[in-house]
Amino acid sequence: MSSSPAETVRWRYPPAIEQAIVEIASLLRGSYALSERTLALLLLEGDPEIWEEVRLQEFTVTLDRIRALCEQLQATSETPIAWQIEQQRQRWSQQIASNVLSQSSDPSATLRTRILRPGALAEHIGRLCMNPWTGFPILVLVLYFGLYQFVGVFGAGTVVDWLENGLFGQYINPFVERLVRAIIPWSALQELLVGEYGVWTLGVTYAIALILPIVTFFFLVFAVLEDTGYLPRLAMLIDRAFKWLGLNGRAVIPIVLGFGCDTMATVVTRILETRRERILTTFLLTLAIPCSAQLGVVLALLARHPKGLLLWAGVLVGVFLLIGWLAAKVLPGSSAPFYMELPPMRLPSLSNVLLKTLARLHWYFMEVFPLFLLASVLIWIGQLTGLFDLAIRGMRPVVQALSLPSEAAVAFLFGFFRRDYGAAGLYRLNEQGLLTGNQLLVASVVLTLFVPCVAQFLVSIKERGLRAALVMFVLALSIALLTGLLLAHALAWLGVRV
Amino acid sequence: MAQAMWIERKQDEQGAAHRLPLVVIAGQPNVGKSVLFHRLTGRYVTVSNYPGTTVEITRGIMHHNGRRFTVIDSPGLYSLSPITEEERVARRILLHEHPDLVLHVVDAKNLARMLPLTLQLIELGIPTILVLNMMDELERAGLQISVDMLRQQLAIPVAPTVCLTGRGIPELKELIDEQLTCRDSAMALSAGD
Repeated sequence: MSSSPAETVRWRYPPAIEQAIVEIASLLRGSYALSERTLALLLLEGDPEIWEEVRLQEFTVTLDRIRALCEQLQATSETPIAWQIEQQRQRWSQQIASNVLSQSSDPSATLRTRILRPGALAEHIGRLCMNPWTGFPILVLVLYFGLYQFVGVFGAGTVVDWLENGLFGQYINPFVERLVRAIIPWSALQELLVGEYGVWTLGVTYAIALILPIVTFFFLVFAVLEDTGYLPRLAMLIDRAFKWLGLNGRAVIPIVLGFGCDTMATVVTRILETRRERILTTFLLTLAIPCSAQLGVVLALLARHPKGLLLWAGVLVGVFLLIGWLAAKVLPGSSAPFYMELPPMRLPSLSNVLLKTLARLHWYFMEVFPLFLLASVLIWIGQLTGLFDLAIRGMRPVVQALSLPSEAAVAFLFGFFRRDYGAAGLYRLNEQGLLTGNQLLVASVVLTLFVPCVAQFLVSIKERGLRAALVMFVLALSIALLTGLLLAHALAWLGVRV
Repeated sequence: MAQAMWIERKQDEQGAAHRLPLVVIAGQPNVGKSVLFHRLTGRYVTVSNYPGTTVEITRGIMHHNGRRFTVIDSPGLYSLSPITEEERVARRILLHEHPDLVLHVVDAKNLARMLPLTLQLIELGIPTILVLNMMDELERAGLQISVDMLRQQLAIPVAPTVCLTGRGIPELKELIDEQLTCRDSAMALSAGD
């Protein structure tokens, strides 16, 4: 049967506290959803919400009397009452747990744990992930094999090559193009479907042959890391570095999630304690964290220039640290203390990993595919009306200042839609052999730091307010261009070729 | 008028669903709340291993024996004195959404550390079922829990489960149904109170 209020009195606090509870409970006259005893207990614990509720319902005399009772009780001991009450609950819990817990009588289970201890090895690995001496090398291994080799070289290199150049480039696209040009007589409509930026040539081909395989590989790696319990340990490892940025390890969670999707990560900044941390983290997400799709495309772009890839990562980490440190100085307040529960390390379950990957892919594709098609249509309209050329011409000085070919303006224009879309635009230029290694590096850096995608921007407005979101947008844009400018000149000045 | 603060039950998009009995899944982060939610409602939510992903509230409907219940998956909370925004959300649901039943999900291996919240829920007078999850990990550690004794000591129903594999879920569903149906008939008897 359900518990009745009478049962809740079965646990007795120390006599002084019990007496205060009874006295306070007898004073309460208002109508509340909770029982008087519960209210009295919460008042003694100093629960601000309950105090406010009681303040609204009781006479000032009663309130004074309750306050006096609390102070009276507090005066009899040195430790806060709330702490004593919590301690008492913990003692009860310990007692109950030790009453009901026992060693298993099943001999095979005990034997298994004594000899094999499947949890012990996992625990040990878990600790190694958090120790700075072993944790950072492990992180490097995870990044190198998990991201660079698997997602970058294999997924974004081999598989995309096969899909985009092979399957789509040689067989499907020529066929579709011939078909459309044969069936549809109007050249404007032909352009819309199979033109340079057409719905099929750009929208469908990019979404399916380029972005889809890359994010599939990334989501797979991410799901495996997530399922093993590695991510919270990574958070503990990076906690110290983050303190320096005025953030705590808790902020690692949205930041790490940002590598999956910055939009989702912006929503997750809600788990942070203070508004200050939320703003800081949202800004760092907007600026310096590439999302999975973008990361994949950049990996694909720079996979043939390992030096460029290292420099790209170096510049991003540098900007992340510098801007984080500056922002922490500018925004008042100090970082909140961090505690987090560590789930056990486990072998990932295949079904879990596949299910998560599928669910994310489904969600991603549903969001990305219509946007890609929409972008193609918008560009088509822009081209018909001449607005597209106008925008490109407007951006040309900026692009030239970055020592990039003027065609790169298109990629930046795409970058306003989606992070990965801009990078995909670069991919196309690169395939046409229009970019040198240095230009590729500069463009990748600028596009990574560039403005948030439409979805992330909208979520930022919802979470942080229009003003903060706009400030972040403008700041990110300025920092991106400034960094690109500095990088381009530094490379030229130092005579570096990647 | 004086109750304005307590009655903020929103007539939102699921206005009709509100009239169904409300079951809230509560507990510390990382004990399998989202998996349990998925098991009860059959609706997919991203199941994650790191703390703090259930930031947004997920609602679903549980069907059992032809009856329907609204199930809310609340964010993780350590105690009823909230520190983070998520914990505040969870507390608000527990105190203001008038749950008919709370499923306090705990990691059976860490029972002692999780029980204080159970005790707080009992003190609040909210009908609670203690869901002992991850029983397989407890057993693998060579331990066992006397469920009957725990039920007696807490004076609330206790359900051992392994949400990941679905072990104990049919029994839990039965228990939920039983609790809510009994409560309804008890309410009917004491109506006019």
